[in-house]
Amino acid sequence: MILHILNRSPSSSLVYRDALAGMGPEDRLLLVEDGVQGALPSQVRHFEVVGDRLFALREDLVAHGLDGHCDASVQVVDVDGFVALTEEADKTVSWF
Amino acid sequence: MRYALLVQGAPYSSQASHSALRFSEALLARGNRLVCVFFYHDGVYNAARLAAPPQDEPHLVDAWVRLNEKHGTQLQVCIAAALRRGLLDEREASRHGKSGHSVEPPFELTGLGQLIDLGLGVDRLVTFAP
Repeated sequence: MILHILNRSPSSSLVYRDALAGMGPEDRLLLVEDGVQGALPSQVRHFEVVGDRLFALREDLVAHGLDGHCDASVQVVDVDGFVALTEEADKTVSWF
Repeated sequence: MRYALLVQGAPYSSQASHSALRFSEALLARGNRLVCVFFYHDGVYNAARLAAPPQDEPHLVDAWVRLNEKHGTQLQVCIAAALRRGLLDEREASRHGKSGHSVEPPFELTGLGQLIDLGLGVDRLVTFAP
């Protein structure tokens, strides 16, 4: 399983499409930095195919004033959870 | 687990350095080892010896140095990316006839081959890009 890390919002960059195209059926996707905007109910449709393998970083949600505004399908993790995700994955790929 | 980080964002221009530092602290707190941080592209500005940010802002260069002092983390800087941006250690400054140097230990100028070695030698390599 690969952890894909995306730091761009789907409303400002199309790199999320490359990330999705590069994901395997077990892979996970973590939204960080500006990428956390993708966790909002209005934007999360872009990540529908990821299902329950979609995560967002709490510290960056807080920094963007979006904590508590995520779609229910997104699993929110703090930076400790971010490290845990990298431990559980065989490797990580960053998309930017 | 043994970790290495690849930082490609310049301090104060992107969030990459802050994200990488925060991740460093978290991985160490979980009992992992941070073998090396490799600075590439604009990330080499993290090694600027003369950086003097306002005192009420995080001093990123000092934060990297503290990682080295407390945890033995190597701080490697891509030499090709550094030289063309004016980031030279004493040896390179002298070799190029410059009167001052802008990189000092514990930051070390190395080649991309070191990054390949790192990727092969650690359990996880995580990239923080602008």
